[in-house]
Amino acid sequence: MSTLKGVAARLRAMVSPRSTENALNEEIQFHLDQETEKNIRLGMSPDAARREALVQFGGLTQAREAHHEVYAARPVEDFLSDARYTLRTMRRTPTLAAAAILTLALGVGANTAIFSAVNAVILQPLPFPSPDRLYMVWEENSEKGWYKQVAAPANMLDWKEQVDAFADVMGYTDTFGAATLTDGGEPTIVKPTHSTGNFFSVLGVRAALGRTFTDAETWQTGQNVAVLSHRLWRDRFGSDPKVIGRTIQLDGNPVQIVGVMPAGFAFPSDATDLWQPWGWNPQSRQQTYFRRAHWLSVIARVKPGVSQEAANTQLQSVVARLQRDFPATNTRMGAGITPLHEFLVGDTRLPLLVLLGSVGLLLLIACANVGNLMLVKASGREREAALRLALGAGRTRLIRQALTESLVTSLLGGLAGLTLGWWGTRALQAVQPAGMLRVSEFQFDWVVLAYVLAITTVSGLLFGLAPALWSSRRLPLDALKNGGRGGSESRRIRRWGERLVIGEIALALMLSIGAGLLVRSLLRLQQVDPGFDPTGVLTVRVPLPNGRYETDGKVLSFYARLDERLRGIAGVQSVGGVSQLSLETSGYTSDFTLEGWPSGTYGSEVAHRRVTPEYFRTMRTPVLAGRVITADDRADSPQVVVINEAFARKHFPGQDPVGKRVAFDRVPDSTTTWNTIVGVVKSQHQTKLSLEPQIEVFEPVTQSPSGLYMVLRTAGDPASLGPAVRRVVGELDPALAIESMRTMEEVRARSLARERFLTTLLLVFAGVGLALAVVGVYGVMAHMARRRVREMGIRLALGAQANDVRWLVVRNGVRLVVIGLVIGTAGALVATRTMQAMLFGVAPKDPLTFVAVPVVLILTALVATWVPATYASRADPATALRAE
Amino acid sequence: MQPPSSDVLRGTLDLLILKTLTLEPMHGWGIGQRIQQVSRGVLDANQGSLYPAFQRLEQKGWIDSEWRTTENNRRAKYYRLTAAGRRAVGAEAASWRRYVEAVELILQIT
Repeated sequence: MSTLKGVAARLRAMVSPRSTENALNEEIQFHLDQETEKNIRLGMSPDAARREALVQFGGLTQAREAHHEVYAARPVEDFLSDARYTLRTMRRTPTLAAAAILTLALGVGANTAIFSAVNAVILQPLPFPSPDRLYMVWEENSEKGWYKQVAAPANMLDWKEQVDAFADVMGYTDTFGAATLTDGGEPTIVKPTHSTGNFFSVLGVRAALGRTFTDAETWQTGQNVAVLSHRLWRDRFGSDPKVIGRTIQLDGNPVQIVGVMPAGFAFPSDATDLWQPWGWNPQSRQQTYFRRAHWLSVIARVKPGVSQEAANTQLQSVVARLQRDFPATNTRMGAGITPLHEFLVGDTRLPLLVLLGSVGLLLLIACANVGNLMLVKASGREREAALRLALGAGRTRLIRQALTESLVTSLLGGLAGLTLGWWGTRALQAVQPAGMLRVSEFQFDWVVLAYVLAITTVSGLLFGLAPALWSSRRLPLDALKNGGRGGSESRRIRRWGERLVIGEIALALMLSIGAGLLVRSLLRLQQVDPGFDPTGVLTVRVPLPNGRYETDGKVLSFYARLDERLRGIAGVQSVGGVSQLSLETSGYTSDFTLEGWPSGTYGSEVAHRRVTPEYFRTMRTPVLAGRVITADDRADSPQVVVINEAFARKHFPGQDPVGKRVAFDRVPDSTTTWNTIVGVVKSQHQTKLSLEPQIEVFEPVTQSPSGLYMVLRTAGDPASLGPAVRRVVGELDPALAIESMRTMEEVRARSLARERFLTTLLLVFAGVGLALAVVGVYGVMAHMARRRVREMGIRLALGAQANDVRWLVVRNGVRLVVIGLVIGTAGALVATRTMQAMLFGVAPKDPLTFVAVPVVLILTALVATWVPATYASRADPATALRAE
Repeated sequence: MQPPSSDVLRGTLDLLILKTLTLEPMHGWGIGQRIQQVSRGVLDANQGSLYPAFQRLEQKGWIDSEWRTTENNRRAKYYRLTAAGRRAVGAEAASWRRYVEAVELILQIT
């Protein structure tokens, strides 16, 4: 209670110092009047009475000051006056101030940008009600090497019905490719997400307009419906509210729009344009393929209060039952759950945290640099400090002033950094590889602002500490006696500066080694032979609406005509077709048996792609044995496949696979189709350069019809074929839209986009860090050289050569750098271990990186010490001696 | 800079003020007069130092203040002992007595 009153009084005094002061004046006035009256009563003259009263009171100012001291606002006022003082000195030395603020702004800005990404992706909860009750349900299979894989629909339905812990379970996929939307105007490609009817209700979101799906729409209802994304509604339908109930043509089928989602909803990804319920045939549930094919992402909402463990235990008992009941499909088919947020963040977490760590290092370097500046500044004022101490200023008061100075500097730097960070955040969002940072919009929310304020304050304290401690630790007598020049205090300040330089070098080395490892890894990746020649190849994908191309015959004849017309474009050397582009997506996988294997033996996970005869020639994929697909491999001719080298190596070591037969069943029977292997081609990397090629078979598209990417080889610039390709497609069928048209080089670059993005960012950070560290080395060496100009002058006067003096300085600099490098190497050895999963073909302790990077650093540092060293060596003995 | 005033001196003045206020609420001048009178003129120190003492005590929550009119119709700030202040007087007085006893002991030795 009493403390509260005291605080209230202090607050009052701070808020309105004038009114407390007036009150005090009035009170004192009353006192003096009373005293004067008393004195008059005692017989004094009014003048004498007044004087006596004043004497008795004993100093008005002291009383007021003392009052002030007790009351309150003292610390705040000190802070404000120190802050004002700081701003004044900044105006006097604008370069120094600007250097400090800019350095900090770089550090804080980088942190702001990266942290807002971390905040948006990792820290912010999912934008759904009770998001912690949402779990990803996945399947695993040790035999096939599956872990956290998509699930089979029938299994999903059984989990939904039999796992009591789950309030509801839904499934979706957005990997079905694009659909062609025709609605009067130009045909457009849209990206659908297909889902069970309870997709939205499990997530807990409502439509902004109209309705979402009903549970019943998982199954056929005789009506195709769709819910639009806010973006598609705005861009394609002009935000027309009357769109609800309208029927559009999707892939040539009538689909009724029943709802529009709110603007912020983007699940499973920002790319989704519209959502469609499956409308499965109820008969499917009993079919084997509903349990054999795995392609559903499954999300469960657990009942309130059910723990992850409890839910998983219940799931496991259902999984065990399914394994018993459906041995043909579910043997060894396991399942598990992961909190949805964790699952979605997945492999973005590590890169983001590594980036956050890097910008943390960068900020520390910036702090060390600014600390150096402040130290230099403080050393210029050591006489002032000494004098103030001698005159009785409190040590804490001096420390406080130094800290205030750094806090003001850091706040200004933080403010500039926030601006820089805001811009950096936008840039980050713009250049990130599509879909890496799951969120469409980073917000500058309170978390980000609080973080920035925190790192700003901590930085201020960090770099303010050295000068503050130093200035208070000084013995006033010392400083005054030797006039604040040379002598011991100079050595002390130098030691602080040296420590900062060592720290900076160590941090910069860690950062640079991290960047170096990523660069090496990226170079390795770029050297990987993809199994084809990407130069001069244009790829184009034209999805065929199944409403109009409803038979295999129509599909095949369209592609045959397209192939022929594309071949006719001037400059096109060859044209091929393939069901999935290399370095993008792989085809489906299956089990297989080779003819002659003992019954019951089978292999797993062979990838399937369909190709046209000219595909391999167009891609320049070498044929290693036998032949490729030819035009003679027709639908009615014997079934043939071409296998890749990985398949041949693994299953036909030392034999010629050509002529052998393969079946894609575990246990072949009389209905099994046997495919003759007619050739072996070099392996193409299916999805990523960092992954070894899977075993794969290529089937003639005539025998296994499917949609195709067309690939065109030209001697010239492949991108220049674009307009001609568009024209050809338009002439063949005006209702078709082109989903994608990219050169194979672009496809390859895109497959490395994430690696390149991270490498670039880390390189930028390391570059800035290195530059700051070198500036720091330069600053300290230059300061030292200037400080020791007299000593150097004496040395020169006594006969030292300019070279000796230069080496003296350089040696000192190199000593610091080497100490920093040793510490930094130790730090990097520990820190880079966390990057293991991000590296390809390079060990976290890669010797080349650990040698090359320090060498670069030491060379740069040498240059930074050379200049001040030369300055010192040119000291004119006469001037130097007079300089006192 | 204020000449250093030891905690003992400060505490003494505080105690005198508190003790004086146990009788009735008073304004600053009155308190000063009362201390002077009661101590028969011995404690006639710097009157100006009374006012910082008031603020100190107010901050500790031992006294309260309000503006009132005097008999002569002048506005004056009156100080009053709070409950906490009343408790404090006892404690302070006891510690003062202990202190005086200690000093007395030392004086007797030499």
